[in-house]
Amino acid sequence: MSVVNFTAELSDTSRTRLAALADVLIPGGSGLPSATEADVAGQWINRVLGASPDLANPVAHVLAIEGAPGEVLEQLRQRDPDVFDGFAFAVGGAYFMNPAVRRALGYPGVAPRRLPAAEGEAEYYLEDDILAPVLDRGPVYRQVPA
Amino acid sequence: MGSRQDPADVLIIGAGTAAGVAAKHLAEAGFKVVCLEQGTWVDPGELPGNKPEYELLGAKDWHPSPNVRGRREDYPVDTTDADLPVWMYNGVGGSSVLYGGIWARPLPSDFRARTLDGVADDWPLSYDELLPYYQAVEREMSVSGLGGNPAYPPGFEPPLPAAPIHRTGRMMAEGMNRLGWHWWPGTNAIPTVNRTHEGMCVRYGICRMGCPEGAKSSTDVTHWRDAVSLGAEVIVRARVARVTLDERGRANGAVYLRDGREHFQAASLVLMAAGGIGTPRLLLMSACDRFPDGLANSSGLVGKRLMLHPYAVSVGVYDDDLENWLGPAGEHIGSMQFYETDASRGFVRGAKWSLLPIAGPLEAVEKWTDKGSLNGEEFWGAGSADRMKSFVRMLQWHVVPEDLPEETNFVSLHPSLTDSDGLPAAKVHYRVSENTNKIIDFHLARSLEAHEAAGAEKTWIAGRNFMTGHNTGTAKMGDDPTTSVVDRFGRTHDVPNLYIIDASVFTTSTGVNPTATICALAKRTATHITSNAREQEVAS
Repeated sequence: MSVVNFTAELSDTSRTRLAALADVLIPGGSGLPSATEADVAGQWINRVLGASPDLANPVAHVLAIEGAPGEVLEQLRQRDPDVFDGFAFAVGGAYFMNPAVRRALGYPGVAPRRLPAAEGEAEYYLEDDILAPVLDRGPVYRQVPA
Repeated sequence: MGSRQDPADVLIIGAGTAAGVAAKHLAEAGFKVVCLEQGTWVDPGELPGNKPEYELLGAKDWHPSPNVRGRREDYPVDTTDADLPVWMYNGVGGSSVLYGGIWARPLPSDFRARTLDGVADDWPLSYDELLPYYQAVEREMSVSGLGGNPAYPPGFEPPLPAAPIHRTGRMMAEGMNRLGWHWWPGTNAIPTVNRTHEGMCVRYGICRMGCPEGAKSSTDVTHWRDAVSLGAEVIVRARVARVTLDERGRANGAVYLRDGREHFQAASLVLMAAGGIGTPRLLLMSACDRFPDGLANSSGLVGKRLMLHPYAVSVGVYDDDLENWLGPAGEHIGSMQFYETDASRGFVRGAKWSLLPIAGPLEAVEKWTDKGSLNGEEFWGAGSADRMKSFVRMLQWHVVPEDLPEETNFVSLHPSLTDSDGLPAAKVHYRVSENTNKIIDFHLARSLEAHEAAGAEKTWIAGRNFMTGHNTGTAKMGDDPTTSVVDRFGRTHDVPNLYIIDASVFTTSTGVNPTATICALAKRTATHITSNAREQEVAS
């Protein structure tokens, strides 16, 4: 599969179109921004395509389809689910990379970060004899003839 | 033909999980070890887990499928006639670079499937015979966990303390207790204290993309560095084309391709360690006048009986933030409640369950969008924000169903597709059996009950047949040369100085993650070689 040199060629018009399409997938609400509000079609799609250049193909494919964004994506989802999935993966990847989105979803930091266990943490989660019922039942494996 | 290397005492083909264990053991015993590896060493700085793009990189450059990664060293695996994708990693450390680190021993009954359940075959060795090797490699692999698990006979005491089971494990454990079902804190090859070569786990939760902290026991970290310091040589970017025989039918080395040139590495003894797909591929590629159907293939079973562990997953959404992104990943808790055969269920054998973290939002989205997901809601569009807000409130049970051997599931050489050196690609022929599907159906149904007992507000089956890196059985171990490829020590019946030390030799797949058994068998074979060196036949 050839890879489109996409981010360098992405015009303002294309980014506006991308934002409109992305908003269909991610309209926001419940304290989360829409795709446009999260700048999916700006710096974050650039980061996505930098990490995974193959995703330029489904993004370019969708941008090349004319029509109302909602209808374009619904038809694509039914007729060409692989392209739809690739486009949604790219848009979702861009959205979730935005630190404000990650924070709103409950993920710490801009990426997984070092959070070593505290002393006594393993024991804490096993308090109140939570393993006692398991131990009281005894072995659960079959005996094997010698 | 390029330069002829100095002869090795032992040539290992592939630098993966088993190879690391064997190479270190053999080098410590004074053997001159040379390993040919088609990939390269992993640079921890390149691993994606602590980068903002981690899930995107994990879906491409660090994807467990060689077909998705598409690196030079990744030989293609044609799965158009297979029910699920086949995963592996080609490089020093092998698939242990990208495994989750779950460390699971099988049970004694796994070695007696024929005797107990009338299916497949008994292994030519027992759990008790492997026990000291499990214990040895659990020290080498920095296994952490809690001793006393009643799912196992006495003698399973992980050497390092268990990791916290977190809110996730606690929530599910309370549900399992309500049902009266077995569970146990997770056992993982992930150190909970600092080790010589490994830092302690810092809980990135991205173990399946490789650990940037070096805190997951992949053999590039745990074994290969020591092996090299002891004199073992790893030749990287060396793609083996065929194993060769001397005039007496002894393995005497391998022809390999590197930088476009053909080379030959001579050896007294050869160990195959290219994995459950790669090893049969190479044996079939090594057909010769003496073995026209493939090296060491007088039984006709090289490549046959492929077993894959078609994974299944269920999820539940709960009321509270469970911090389900916290590692290790690795399992937080596991269950063997329904592992043993109960004929009243309508099938034989069973499955292990692992409660796993969810590495990030894109993995969470898959719980709706995977082709096997039965959620029933379109994820994207109106209401997607509410679905996203549930990401950190999700728990997932992974089910590892035992897959029984069938000769109709097999690996062959592709008739036209090749790797980047022009060697035949692998073709996988695989269908999930009726018994395996019944195991999956039963276990998924029970896992949904577990979610409900733990308080989930919504539950669903989120996927099946979506992955396996557990490629086993394609060079069966057994006592009878007419019905197996290797003997109880991994030596091929046909070539007395050719051993197989990877998961190809599994007589049955068991219903647990295979790394513990891969490492134990490799340790046992290496010990056998060092203990019987004087009697070992070698190449002339």
